[in-house]
Amino acid sequence: MAQLIINSFLKLFSYFAQFNYYFLSHRSLVLSSLLLFVLVFQLYASSDDQLRQSSARSAILKAILAPEEKQPELVEALAQNLHPVLGPILEAWQKGDLFILDLNGKLTPVIRLPDSQLQLVENAQSLPIAQLPENARPLETTGKLRRAMRIILDQLALADPSPEIRENAVLKLGMRQNLQSLPILERLKEQEEHPKVKIAILDAISLINLNSPDTTTKIKALSHFEARAPIFARDSIQKILADSSISPAVRDAANKAMKAIERRIFWTDFFGTVFRGISLGSVLLVVAIGLAITFGLMGIINMAHGEIMIIGGYTVFVVQCLFGTGLALAPFGFSFNLPGLGLDPASNLYQAYFLISLPIAFLISAIVGLILERGIIQFLYQRPLETLLATWGISLILQQLFRLIFGPANIPVTAPAWLTGSYVVEGVIMNYNRIFVIFAAFVILVATWLLLARTPLGLLIRAVIQDRSTAACMGVSTGKVNSLTFAFGSGLAGVAGALLALLGNIGPSTGQTYIVDAFMVVVLGGVGNLAGTVLSALGIGTLDQILQISLRNPVIGKVLVLVGIILFLQWKPSGLFTIRSRSLDEG
Amino acid sequence: MSDRLPKVEIFFLLILSAVLIFVIPILNSAVPTDHPFYISNYLVNLLGQYFCLAIVAVSLDFLWGYTGLLSLGQMLFFSLGGYAFGMHLMLMIGRLGQYKSDLPDFMVFLGYNKLPDFWVPFYSFWFAAAAALWVPGLLAFLFGWLAFRSRIRGVYFSILTQALTYAACLLFFRNELSMGGNNGFTDFKFILGKPINSPDTQRALYVASALSLILTYLLLRTLTLTKFGKVQRAIRDSENRVLFSGYAAANYKLFAFTLAAVISGLAGALYVPQVGIINPSQMEPSRSLEAVVWVAVGGRGTLYGPVIGAVGVNALRSWATISLPAYWPILLGSLFILVVLFAPRGIAGFLEFLAGKVLTASRPILPNTQIFTNSSLPKTSSPNPSGQESQKT
Amino acid sequence: MKREFLLVAEGLTKSFDGFKAIDNINFYLDRGELRTIIGPNGAGKSTFLDLITGRTRPDSGTITYRGNPITRLREYEIYRLGIGRKFQTPSIYAHHTVFENLLLGLKGPRGVFSSIFHRISSSEKNRIAEVLEIIGLTEKAHIPAGLLSHGQKQWLEIGMLLAQEAELLLLDEPAAGMSDEETEKTGNLLLTLAGGHTLIVIEHDMTFIRRLASRVTVLHQGRILCEGSFEHVQNDPRVQEVYLGRKHRAHNQPNS
Repeated sequence: MAQLIINSFLKLFSYFAQFNYYFLSHRSLVLSSLLLFVLVFQLYASSDDQLRQSSARSAILKAILAPEEKQPELVEALAQNLHPVLGPILEAWQKGDLFILDLNGKLTPVIRLPDSQLQLVENAQSLPIAQLPENARPLETTGKLRRAMRIILDQLALADPSPEIRENAVLKLGMRQNLQSLPILERLKEQEEHPKVKIAILDAISLINLNSPDTTTKIKALSHFEARAPIFARDSIQKILADSSISPAVRDAANKAMKAIERRIFWTDFFGTVFRGISLGSVLLVVAIGLAITFGLMGIINMAHGEIMIIGGYTVFVVQCLFGTGLALAPFGFSFNLPGLGLDPASNLYQAYFLISLPIAFLISAIVGLILERGIIQFLYQRPLETLLATWGISLILQQLFRLIFGPANIPVTAPAWLTGSYVVEGVIMNYNRIFVIFAAFVILVATWLLLARTPLGLLIRAVIQDRSTAACMGVSTGKVNSLTFAFGSGLAGVAGALLALLGNIGPSTGQTYIVDAFMVVVLGGVGNLAGTVLSALGIGTLDQILQISLRNPVIGKVLVLVGIILFLQWKPSGLFTIRSRSLDEG
Repeated sequence: MSDRLPKVEIFFLLILSAVLIFVIPILNSAVPTDHPFYISNYLVNLLGQYFCLAIVAVSLDFLWGYTGLLSLGQMLFFSLGGYAFGMHLMLMIGRLGQYKSDLPDFMVFLGYNKLPDFWVPFYSFWFAAAAALWVPGLLAFLFGWLAFRSRIRGVYFSILTQALTYAACLLFFRNELSMGGNNGFTDFKFILGKPINSPDTQRALYVASALSLILTYLLLRTLTLTKFGKVQRAIRDSENRVLFSGYAAANYKLFAFTLAAVISGLAGALYVPQVGIINPSQMEPSRSLEAVVWVAVGGRGTLYGPVIGAVGVNALRSWATISLPAYWPILLGSLFILVVLFAPRGIAGFLEFLAGKVLTASRPILPNTQIFTNSSLPKTSSPNPSGQESQKT
Repeated sequence: MKREFLLVAEGLTKSFDGFKAIDNINFYLDRGELRTIIGPNGAGKSTFLDLITGRTRPDSGTITYRGNPITRLREYEIYRLGIGRKFQTPSIYAHHTVFENLLLGLKGPRGVFSSIFHRISSSEKNRIAEVLEIIGLTEKAHIPAGLLSHGQKQWLEIGMLLAQEAELLLLDEPAAGMSDEETEKTGNLLLTLAGGHTLIVIEHDMTFIRRLASRVTVLHQGRILCEGSFEHVQNDPRVQEVYLGRKHRAHNQPNS
């Protein structure tokens, strides 16, 4: 379900074209481009796949078994029998996963697959033996051979059924800026049907044309890049600009293209920064919402908020262990084992552990919060500074308890597979887990707002916030409202901790690193005000990121944010928003 | 009006000064080591450290107990004083460091080939000693000026001071600051030309610490007895009323905050040569909070209470970190909760309670013993039935 | 003819989140005058005092005191010009003695350093003794002010204004919560102060107001409804409608 949500969330951005450019090698290889063209064309023209596959296999078999000095030549000749099956074999050879075994007196080449299975080169059958003989040595490669293999692999990629791979191969070819590759690309342009690959081919042609001796072609290529502004063309255009012999018209076109590219880079950086800022702000927001509510309602600054948050992180860890192989703990010198369910890490149920642990984290943190409120904090209402001190005492104790129970080191929480990876839009990298956190923050915000605005408990909470004594006179049990609100705020902290477990480390003192920032959010946002909290969390998060990027120093950024907050409070001493109730100015 | 120090107090102070400044050093230096009254070098050094921390506690109480300003960053000023003086001590190492260079070791390690300009004046003992006072004072003045001008009060003020020390802590962890990064300064060799670890030097530092503590106490105690002290406590109890009595409360708070920072800086400068190291961990927010524990346990609003609290809690700490290292934070945390819940006036409150029993209540007991009412929380909307001000903004 | 007023407020407007607490008020006060401001709850009486004493800044309009604008000054600066205020709920320093409360109120330099080196002079002691005599707290001079009764606290607060020698005294419900006898004493005190000082008194207690026999300003919904002698105001039909129609309720809840 969550994945579905994420996907639909991502669709918001899907009108951006998606690019994955991998600049593997800038080293230019001498290619016989004409030959390449013929071969690629041949590959497309052939129809009898079965036949071509077996002829390709026998050709590579021949090359493998040939003496070392003949191998490069034979590998280059593979171009005549180009077929996708060659890819994995050549890659295995490159990586040292190709072996020649002596099976019943016959020299048999085998490749080792990534899962350690052995496969015959001859017919792709699996070998029954599980392990390589101890004396097996991978087949060596020479520099010349590797170059030949790379040429074949490039050609394979240009003809690959997957558009992404074709796209990369085309661009790689373009990056070499070899004029001799032009005919191939022109021909590919005719045949290619996939729009993205087509654009890539045009880009590659223009890249090569940048090297053209003809000024008109050069300018045409440059204006193509001015319109497209792809970041990968930057180095090539820079090279043109560095050349003092070019004509003014070329220089002009190159400058224009360069400007367009730099604008693109600026915006990519900018949106990347903003995205990271918003995701950091979302973490802060979730941490701060609970704090803001308890502060707004009870005037309590809860110094243990960070530790209650970390309880959520530890809850995720425990749930993860219980779904897996169990957990061994040794608090206070007693060691015991919690047996796990032993689920397969690949199974859907195991993958769902994170979603399941969110409500558990909420509950456990809420219960801890409730105990603290009933046990200690309720005696300290109207004494905000002393509450601050008592809750700091609680935070010290909790931190040490974490250390005694879970050990002083950070605990390893592995994000579920569906939250690893990232989404790249126009060069802006957006990690799934960060997107999830932004989304979760939004859900939590809406849920909190609904709770406050639409439920009977919310009504009571708002009544108590506005006028405690009147609410008490009207029969509102303010004590109960306090407990419930504090529990709710603590529960939110727990969820924040669970989300944090997704992004970074959870350790006994992690709470401390977030609490100061969270306080800043509350102070800046104004007391007990959701809108203020949201604005200040996102503002602080984004500002922090922008300063970090532009100053290249995270610490100075933090210090500047603090100074900024103090200066801001000069202007608005009680934060962005203040609740003013009518009773204040009654005469 | 009893606006002078009570005679009993002067008498007691004189005896205490005599014991701390004369008797203990003599018992340390002139008594044979196997004599039962002998006080070891270790203990003298430890007491010297405790007294430095006690100075911080007294200055903190001057802010918290008397002005209602709970500074959660007092150890920042302590550390700045320590760093300022530590810079001098680092330069006094000369070529005796591991790298046999004129530069401090960490600079050699980081590839400096020249002393940064701002380090140069610290060759002078007196410049460093003065910097240990004015650097914290200046920072406190600037921060306080901004904070008090915009009427940042109560928990807001506390949180901002905490953020201040947190930011400074992060800054000092960086090597770019040329202040030794996370290792800070250590391996000091000489102070005023004397070997720093010799018993004689350490005894002298002890005496300086004890003297500073007594003088700090006298200074602040006298201040609290003046009209300044009355305004100060009035600000604590009802800041708005003070404004409507024509006092610029911000200036009073600024004075108190800056003075407390200067005093803490002095304590830091005395502490560093005795403990032999200063690093950014002293600026961590938890250290400053610990200082608040000393005051709370000792009893705020009395000035002598924090001395008892600082020495007592740190003695407990010295013992517990050796005997029960895993449980010390829990012990400290519980101590804090218990004091806040059950003994808001700390040990001093208990002592005064006993004294009151003995002297049959020389002091009337106030109807409202809690020092902080809701009025220290600015602009919350809840009306405060017990506060003296109408809650209007 | 242009008259020299002590306090002039013109075009004064203040709103809180859209609610107009004070709406375009023009207010003129003569030197030595005793003025009473009445009005139902929420009429903006206390907000008006807040604006004069610098507790709140007006959105628009000006306030001048002795011809000098005071709208942008801070509370303590306005105080130092000679405007003293007694709050609706007694606000004294509960932990200080009565004597110390008055000492803090005494006229004199109020800087940080002058307070550090301040020594009580005999003239100051005499002034405090005088004020203690006037407010009848001589015997309680050295007990913490928090132990005083409600009425005594009110007097102490008035005493602090006397110690200040303020020219303009703003008194927010000085008789609230007092016994009849105390109220009468307070009324007498105010009457003796009038003339030497200028007073603005906010009250709900009609008997008390009648006794003061002063000029009365009626505030309603942030505006001045009418102004004049007590009788004049009492007979104004608009006042009867919005305010005196609720007179009985105001009597029953003198503290509201």
